[in-house]
Amino acid sequence: MNTGKTANVETPAPDDADKPETRDAMSRPVTHRKSEVRLGREVQARIGQQLRAMYDEVVKEGVPQHISDLVRRLSEQDDGVA
Amino acid sequence: MKLDPAIRDQVLATVPSLRAFAISLCGHVDRADDLVQETLLRALAHIDSFEPGTNMPAWLFTILRNLFRSEYRKRRREVEDADGRYADTLKTHPEQTGRVEFGEFRAALAKLPSDQREALILVGASGFSYEEAAAICGCAVGTIKSRVNRARTRLADLLSIDSIDDFGPDRATRAVLAGGGRN
Repeated sequence: MNTGKTANVETPAPDDADKPETRDAMSRPVTHRKSEVRLGREVQARIGQQLRAMYDEVVKEGVPQHISDLVRRLSEQDDGVA
Repeated sequence: MKLDPAIRDQVLATVPSLRAFAISLCGHVDRADDLVQETLLRALAHIDSFEPGTNMPAWLFTILRNLFRSEYRKRRREVEDADGRYADTLKTHPEQTGRVEFGEFRAALAKLPSDQREALILVGASGFSYEEAAAICGCAVGTIKSRVNRARTRLADLLSIDSIDDFGPDRATRAVLAGGGRN
């Protein structure tokens, strides 16, 4: 478990002694919870961007020639293609 | 009777997005292109059942999705852990996706249950409304909403876990996780 304490912190304030996880090495309160929520929202936004970027990369390729040929050939045929 | 050129052009205009959807669903470009071809063959054979003026993309996506589903069910009977093997395939051969820079993201996407994956893609990438996505998947709007939410949560978990435990995410995933913060 990483408490955020460093080896050269010699004399922690008395009230830190029994719950060292709540303060970092500079004796500032550690706010894990808040930053996790922020990260969660940030990750969600990035997931949306990533998803669209991945998808749009394929969309940008347009219509492959063999598919375009297929559609044009089928659309010139009479009824009862299959 | 030849196909109305306007209808033909609507079909062609949908192909790029249809391919992107197919690749997102099955992970392999070759399989996806087969799926798109089969979809188009079937669609054009039954073009009479398409009502002009209605939603062409939604109609084609529905056909493709149903084809993928029936194929998936078939394969699932043959290979019990189809999902697991599929994910492994992506991990071992990311180049098979044809898009290496999204390898990590695709691998995470592949770990989602397929109903969640398709819901997320339809709404989050293809740009369909919840109502359209529900019609394509043949389920209630509320079901689509909850699938999309679960997919997003699971994806966030998968990508975060990768960064902490593996410490080796690719560049695209690191960009996701760095999120405009430090570094």
